[in-house]
Formats: sequence, C-alpha cells, structure tokens
Amino acid sequence: MLQEPESGALAIPQAEREMDGSHDGETQALTASPEPAPGPLLQESPQEDLGAVREEGAAEPSLTPKGARALAAKTLARRRACRRLDRTVAELVQFLLLKDRKKSPITRSEMVKYVIGDLKDLFPEIIARAAEHLRYVFGFELKQLDRKHHTYILINKLKPIEDEEEVLRGDGPRLGLLMMILGLIYMKGNSAREAQVWAMLRRLGVRPSKYHFLFGYPKRLIMEDFVQLRYLNYRRVPHTNPPECEFSWGPRSNLETSKMKVLGFVAKLHKKEPQHWPVQYREALADEANRARAGASVRARASTHPW
Amino acid sequence: MQGNTKKMGVMTDVHRRFLQLLMTHGVLEECDIKRLQKHCYKVHDCNATIEKLEDFINNINSVLESLYIEIKKGVTEDDGRPIYALVNLATTSISKMASDFAENELDLFRKALELIIDSDTGFASSTNILNLVDQLKGKKMRKKEAEHVLQKFVQNKWLIEKEGEFTLHGRAILEMDQYIRETYPDAVKVCNICRGLLIQGQSCETCGIRMHLPCVAKYFQASSEPHCPHCNDYWPHEVPEVFNPEKERETGLSRSNKRSSRSRQH
Repeated sequence: MLQEPESGALAIPQAEREMDGSHDGETQALTASPEPAPGPLLQESPQEDLGAVREEGAAEPSLTPKGARALAAKTLARRRACRRLDRTVAELVQFLLLKDRKKSPITRSEMVKYVIGDLKDLFPEIIARAAEHLRYVFGFELKQLDRKHHTYILINKLKPIEDEEEVLRGDGPRLGLLMMILGLIYMKGNSAREAQVWAMLRRLGVRPSKYHFLFGYPKRLIMEDFVQLRYLNYRRVPHTNPPECEFSWGPRSNLETSKMKVLGFVAKLHKKEPQHWPVQYREALADEANRARAGASVRARASTHPW
Repeated sequence: MQGNTKKMGVMTDVHRRFLQLLMTHGVLEECDIKRLQKHCYKVHDCNATIEKLEDFINNINSVLESLYIEIKKGVTEDDGRPIYALVNLATTSISKMASDFAENELDLFRKALELIIDSDTGFASSTNILNLVDQLKGKKMRKKEAEHVLQKFVQNKWLIEKEGEFTLHGRAILEMDQYIRETYPDAVKVCNICRGLLIQGQSCETCGIRMHLPCVAKYFQASSEPHCPHCNDYWPHEVPEVFNPEKERETGLSRSNKRSSRSRQH
C-alpha cells in the first residue's frame, strides 16, 4: 500500500507524496508471512525458473562452487523480483479500490507515481494482473475511459440491488427503532421522558440490556450511538426528584427527516390519517412552510453567489 | 488457477458481493456480518446451504492472501463483542483513512492516536487533543472545526467517544495494529494473555502487567478469587462478564463501574 520510505511517518495524502519506487525499505511482515501462491496471471513462475535452473545445473555436472553460488544468487534475485511484482500488483489493486470509492477516474500517471514507481516498464503486465484480481476477487471491471489520457474507472459487474444499503447497513431495523422513538417524542410534544421511551419499547419486546438480534444492546444503541450521531438529545429534566432524563430530537434528525414525515409514519402505524392529530398536524404544516422558506432563501442566495 | 502450491478457495458472486459490502462498511459486528452473508446467498444462490461463517471467511481469505489483505476478526476492547474488518496485511500507514480525510485532519488523528497510546487509561481528553490544533500540518484548523473532525472520526468508526474522552475504535485497532507497534514501539502496551495490542484494559497494581477486559473476563471466569497471572498478587479490579449474545446484561451499570475504577486501574 502507500508506504512511507521513512518509518514512523504516516501516509501523506496522495497529492503530496513522493514515492520512491524501491520497496526494499519495507515491512518485515511481508518476508515473515508465508510465501503467497502466485496470482492467476503470473507469467514467470518461480517454480518454472527453479526447474530451469536445476536443469542447467544437472546438465553441468562439473559446475564449480563459484558457478553454483552465482546460479543460486540469480535464482534468489529472480524470486525477489517476482515477489516484488506480486506486491506491486497487490498495491495497485488496493490503490484502485480506494480511488474508486471517491468516484474519481484514476490516471495512469497517478498509478505510476504512487504505486508502480520504477517498475514503470512493466505497467501493461501489472495493470493486466490487477484487472484480473479486481474481476475475479471483487467483481469489478477495470475500464479504460480515455485512450488518449490513460484514465481508468471501475465498473461494478454485480447486479445492483434496490435499497441494498438500507437493508444491510443494519441501519434498516435500527433506523426503524429510531423512527419509533422520534414519533413518540413528537407526539408527546417534542420531548419524551426516558421512562416513556423504555415503556414503549418494552411493549415491542425490546428490553434495555437484553441483547437483541436486530439492535444489539438497545440501551447502548439509543443512549450512546443515537445520541453521539446527534439523532437524539438526552438531558436531565431540572427540578425532578428522583432525577429524570428526557429525549428530544437531535439536529441530525431535523436534517434527515421532518415532523411531517414522522407524523406520517405514526399515522400509518395506527392506520389513520395524519390529520387525525390536529395539533401535531398543524405543527408539521408550519414546519414544512419554514423548510420551504429556508430552502427558497438558500436558493435565492445561491443565485446571487455563483460559486 | 495454475502453478499453485496450496489450494485456494473459489470466488463466486456470493463472495464478491460479501467483500464489496464489507469494504463499504469498513467494520461489522458479528450479527451484522451474518446477516450480510445471508443476504449475499439470497441474492446469488438462494438454494445453497449457507456455509458456516468461519469457513466462508477462511475460503475468501485464502483467495485474498495473494493480495496481502484479509478479513480479520477482533473483539471490542470494552465488552468483547466480535467484529470483522478487511485489513491490509502489508501496510505500515493509515493509508485507508487517507482517502477520506484531508492532510490536517489526518494529522489531527495522528495527534489523538499518540495521546491515546501514551495515556494510562487508553483515553485522551477532548481538551488535550484540541490544544494540539496549532501544531497540525496542512491548512490551519480552528478548535471548533477540530471538534467536528473528531466527530467525523467517531462516525467513521476510527474513534470512540465516552464522556468527552476519545479512544480507538476496534476497527482502528484491527487495521492499524502493525502500524502502531512499529511507530510507537516503546509506548505501545500489550495484553499479558493474548499478546495483542492493548489500548483499554486493566493492570496489576503490583507488577504492572496489563490485560484486555474480555481477556480478564475469560481468564478469571471460573475463579472466585482472581490473582495476577504474573506476580500472583490479588487482582483488585472488577472482573467483567464474558460476552454471551444470549445472556441479559446490565450494560449501563457495568459501564459506569468500569468508568469510575478506570482511573485507578492503570
């Protein structure tokens, strides 16, 4: 991966890196780890080389000790070169995956600058092997976008799944739980006592400290994750004895959803229309109007500041 | 695949989707990764029997080996929940973060990391981190901005925040293990039981050896009177429970106990 020539320094963002092509100053871990199996496109297999070398040796029964040493050194050098090639291919694969996450096309010169270095002449072989790994292992196709400027992108060969992100992030069920809590808070006049929240959840079969197969530890999820992610605010209610705490909407909830949406969610749960709760409905309408006004003023400002 | 000396697993779309999704999330808990595996089977091979998770992952890892990456399993330091991340075996840098953060933000992380490793408790206070804002490389950052960046680290699961203090997320420990050991060889702490990198844990007040909380839980599981494995002195700290997804736990209570005794633990 993007490695520092000097030890002890962290990788500097790619725009400022000067990569020296030599990978010799690098991790002992690589030599310590077991020799990896050659990749699928390895054209020059170390085993083949060794075979050739052994044959040479066999054909020359009078090989001098000096000759044998030279041969051994050559084999070692060849093996080292193969390993270095393998590592460079691996680094290029990771580099391409990382760059692709930012959705920006990757140029050949970037690849040479940050990964390939002085193995530049082997670029076609390296990129071909990297492409094969990307296809076989990850299901991405490396496509050359522009022949002239040598830019590449990754295309996902796996079929896209609708709402996969939501289904999977584990957020699906967790955000559902959050919606229930936001709904309760809203219907109770924009704040709900902690006890009320747990009472509602208990009715759903969710207990604070019992590990739940969908939510993990609900108490941690609500008191820590949701609060830290700013979906919920949690504060002590003044002048209560014994001290009580209450939840209200956090700033992120206001950004990611709205009173009208949450009212709609609650209404659906109860199989009613949002208008069934006139007070909350009016409040939600006012909130919608505010948002529309705020949106319009942002757009107005944007049109006078064209950046 | 030809010329291999060891048997490599076979990749199908089930495995590819699994890898892609794991990469998107960065780190996943065991319950989530099982759901992910099930989802991938459902999409690509709904009639097949779902392979046992351990074998499924080992199969993929045998293919990833030639790319110097692997799906690594770890446990959270506070309560021993299993987590999984796709980890680079060859890196000695925080390169994975480099694609998501600017130079000054990465430097802020470096500073926080150093404070965390040097600390006794494994936590660095927000104040101490923010005081280093003037020393950052790159574009000048104000304290207010730095607060937001720290929250970004929390959201992206590189740091955990507890009561205004920051420690490393399990993901960071998994991904940066090697980097941390190589960069801070003198300051780094190691668990006496599992020899793994230790950020949070308990320590013996007599001889100073340290253990992860889940390692303490397992080691002293059956003893009524815990003694230090090194010097045999009485073990003065509360022994946490072994993580059991079936069992009910007082997560709130044990956490506050740990917090108050943490200052005395190291």
